[in-house]
Amino acid sequence: MVAGAWFCLLAPLAGSLAIALAGQRISGRQAGWISTLTTFAAFAGATVSFLDLWAAEPERREELSTAYTWLAAGDLRVGLEILVDPLSAAMMLIVSGVGGLIVWYSMGYMAGDDEERRYFAYMSLFVFAMLLLVEAGNVLLLLVGWGLVGLASYLLIGFWHHRPQAVAAAKKAFVMNAAGDATFALAVVLLVWETGALDYPSVFADVGGLSDTVVTLVALGLLGGALAKSAQVPLHTWLPDAMEGPTPVSALIHAATMVTAGVYLLVRAHPVYEAAADVQHLAAVLGAVTLLLAGLVALVQWDIKRVIAYSTMSQIGYMFLAAGIGAYGVAIFHLMTHAFFKALLFLAAGVVIHRLAGEQDIRRMGGLRAELPRTHLAFLVGTAALAGLPPLAGFWSKDAILASALELGGGLGAALLAAGLLGTLLTGAYAFRLYFAVFHGERRELAPEPHGPEAAHVPEHGEGPLSMLVPVGVLTVLAAVGGLLSVPGLWHPFTHWVGEVAEPLVEASARQEYGTSAAAVALALLGLALARAAFLRGRELVALPAAWTLLERKLYFDELYDALFYRPAAALSALLRREVEEPVIERSLDGIGSGTVQVGGEVARVQSGLVRSYALTIAAAVLVLVVVFVAVR
Amino acid sequence: MLATTLIVLPLAGALLVALFPLPRLATAGLAFLVALLEVGVWIVAVTRFDFDEGTLQLGTTREWVESLGISYAVGFYGFSLWLAGAAVVVGAAAAGYALFVGRERPRAYHALLLFLTGAVVATFAAQDLILFYAAFEAMLIPLYVLVGVWGGPRRTAATLTFVVYTMAGSLLMLAAVVAFGVTQGTFSLLEAGTSGNAWIFLGFAVAFAVKAPLFPFHGWLPLAYREAPVEVAAVLSAVVSKAAVYGFLRIALPVFPEPVEDLTPLLLALAAAGLVYGSVLAFRAPDLRGIVAYSSMAQMGLITLGVFAFNDLGLDGAVLQSVAHALVSASMFLLVGMVERRCVTGELALLGGMARGRPALATLLLVAGMVALAVPGSATFAGEFLIMAGAYGEGWGYAALVALGIVLAAMYVLRLISAVLHESRGAAVREEALDLRPGELALLLPLVACLLGLSAWPALVSQSSFPGDEPARALEEGLR
Repeated sequence: MVAGAWFCLLAPLAGSLAIALAGQRISGRQAGWISTLTTFAAFAGATVSFLDLWAAEPERREELSTAYTWLAAGDLRVGLEILVDPLSAAMMLIVSGVGGLIVWYSMGYMAGDDEERRYFAYMSLFVFAMLLLVEAGNVLLLLVGWGLVGLASYLLIGFWHHRPQAVAAAKKAFVMNAAGDATFALAVVLLVWETGALDYPSVFADVGGLSDTVVTLVALGLLGGALAKSAQVPLHTWLPDAMEGPTPVSALIHAATMVTAGVYLLVRAHPVYEAAADVQHLAAVLGAVTLLLAGLVALVQWDIKRVIAYSTMSQIGYMFLAAGIGAYGVAIFHLMTHAFFKALLFLAAGVVIHRLAGEQDIRRMGGLRAELPRTHLAFLVGTAALAGLPPLAGFWSKDAILASALELGGGLGAALLAAGLLGTLLTGAYAFRLYFAVFHGERRELAPEPHGPEAAHVPEHGEGPLSMLVPVGVLTVLAAVGGLLSVPGLWHPFTHWVGEVAEPLVEASARQEYGTSAAAVALALLGLALARAAFLRGRELVALPAAWTLLERKLYFDELYDALFYRPAAALSALLRREVEEPVIERSLDGIGSGTVQVGGEVARVQSGLVRSYALTIAAAVLVLVVVFVAVR
Repeated sequence: MLATTLIVLPLAGALLVALFPLPRLATAGLAFLVALLEVGVWIVAVTRFDFDEGTLQLGTTREWVESLGISYAVGFYGFSLWLAGAAVVVGAAAAGYALFVGRERPRAYHALLLFLTGAVVATFAAQDLILFYAAFEAMLIPLYVLVGVWGGPRRTAATLTFVVYTMAGSLLMLAAVVAFGVTQGTFSLLEAGTSGNAWIFLGFAVAFAVKAPLFPFHGWLPLAYREAPVEVAAVLSAVVSKAAVYGFLRIALPVFPEPVEDLTPLLLALAAAGLVYGSVLAFRAPDLRGIVAYSSMAQMGLITLGVFAFNDLGLDGAVLQSVAHALVSASMFLLVGMVERRCVTGELALLGGMARGRPALATLLLVAGMVALAVPGSATFAGEFLIMAGAYGEGWGYAALVALGIVLAAMYVLRLISAVLHESRGAAVREEALDLRPGELALLLPLVACLLGLSAWPALVSQSSFPGDEPARALEEGLR
């Protein structure tokens, strides 16, 4: 089973290297094929690995495979090793499968861009990094994958690097993730000292023996990394800006895969979090806060991609909520269905943006239902799946999360359930606001000069080439039926599969599931009705100007962080330069020799002679010394 | 014997280059060939070195001035062999760059560069304090001249500060060497015992602190790195600074155990201060060289932190990071030089947009930059992680400062990359400015390949640097 997993890991790396090394010897289209085929090859490898696992005895579904010792120091040995178990196999399938579809879609979407080759090299690099993240067999290698997906994300957000906004967004994402990486690394350092080994089995076996303080700190450090990568409050502000990247990038990295890595981490490191229950609950609470805040902000955004980006944050909030209360299988289940329907929404949005020559403002869209019938259907399926309407994918997974909160009970469970239910109302409202604004109403004239980041695209006629339509079609089907892998009261193959790795702390009964489902669907439909009513009257969902401004400015998080971190750092740097470096350090020698504070040009000239003679003197002195020593001998 | 060969070869090459009146190109070419040959000899040395043993090897010991207890004793430990490797590789890259650029008065220039390489290797090989001192000083002479004659417009001021700082350090070290030799009756590190004299230790420590440099002994750094010819700046930051690391590892820790223990808090504090101070200044430096210079200072603070954490993780990390930083810093300085050649300036405000149409420059700057900011998976990441883990042994605060350094490094390196490559074309960037030429690629690609190779297998260096792969114990036992 490890052979398939190694193949799965290395195929995209080989693709990326091949494209990079071939350079201009291949065309952009060929690069696209290399990238697409290697990603699907990775999917094939993942499938082989999965089938091997499936055939194996349940207790033997875990295999660690080490290629060589990557880092060694003192007693520490860290191998380049992968772990194949039900959780990593599921993630491999999701990443390479959805990844393959999106890379394929990119071939149509990016056709004609001057730097297609660079794009596909980066995409393959990302797929490799993400697979490394989910396959890594020890915590340090997990951190390596963690950092490399951040790198790929930086490269792809800033892909159109002539745009200042794209560059700024890329830097912001990288720095914020570097902060998360730093806390993650501190947690790993603690593990090195406390457990002496970093591979999952040893670390998790030793967790019980650690003091509460240590476990809490480790859990907090890992949580910092998870919050940054998954764009959860308070480290969430980079994700909306990341929409400066090409739309398929948003679909793959900033919706379907990378941003859900935090959820994977919470599930993978569940023994740590179970030993530090407070931190685990903190993750759930932060998830609930994020799902509400992002849902609210999504109500007032104008940019089609930003609405979907906020909805991504909100949906990952649900996953954090689930992982934070110990409903691991359910969290990963929602991760998977979300990957389907969110990738679908982004790719469908990409078709719309293509059709409108790069226009992204929903105020200048409308009435596209007739023009883009297939895209309309796909988008509608995606929207309904996002809103959690039966029988689409999001319905099954989101309601399982709500039911788990109900099962948890107590004050925390009640609060989380309330937040989750309120979230479904918000989701229904913002999702259908977007849908109506884009596909219903009057068709607007194109702005004379579209100015979005993707304005370079010429308006397409029809709905794009096959390479775009087929992935959208496949994802539409997956978003429609993907949720059937777990039907309350009937069967739960997916959650049980993941449960082999991370046994859930809460398991809702079928009655609880149907109860919460009824409430959630009612609320989502209420949201839909509100959105429709507002749309028909030509009004917005948030009517209060003050609230509107507050939400439109994203609750002023950017301004807050600017004032809290960037400005103080810049000010400190300027202060040190002005007060220490220039007066004290750089002028430290001004007084020497001349006895004055200023070194004038005249003095400098005198000294210039001095320098050479000085050097000569030293050279001569050394020579003399050598001669003397030799002679004395 | 190979240690002596490694020292003598570049010195002989220097003499050859200086004496034979060959045409310009032939002079530079000959010097470059000697530098490459030196790399070849070093590779042979690595294949002959028994890393499992890890004790002093490839050495020569001869009486020199018997009455004074001075000997010619050279040889390598694992860590010094790796440091010497970084030195010869960077030296060859520098010679190649000087050849490519075509420096004025090539005979003098190349002779000095080769002499510098020989002196650096001698420093890393020296097992006798007088020899160490001579080599340490001999590194400075070519640097004074290279900066003072071939430097930028403010070369005089740069040289003057550099001379005063380094000479002050050297004089203290000379006093310490003499005092140590007199009290011990020998200058040989192989024969001398340990010393508990804090003053003697301080003499060494200050000289190393100036060389690294550690905060606040870095007064020479901004000017020297700005004004030196770019390949000299590369050697200075990549290799010469590592003489301090070698001094700490070979002299300070094994010979002065008690003073080190007493003064560890101070040294750790200075190292941490240098890390944060350098990072913060790099973050707002107005030009390319400023960023690379202050980041180099931050890195030296980091490495020193690993050294004085004085545990296996920190020490292995410090050696790994020294090698990785040497390669990355040389790559960055050469790239800076290539940008400056095209734009005549390194002012960030005047640069930009160079990625468009220049894929080689963009790719290499990106790769070198990502390694410089220690992206997870890189050799520098491995080194920083080990140092962070080692520093944790001295207190969680140090580990947290290393973490802060990682975030700041991301900020200043991304700033540099974007300022050169991204957004619209800067005022100083001409439309027709070329992508990297084959000659430049031929220099950079091997450096970057070394970095990527080390990233794929950092254990190569980190587990083969100290006798018995037990750094702390080996040093406590005086590296015997």
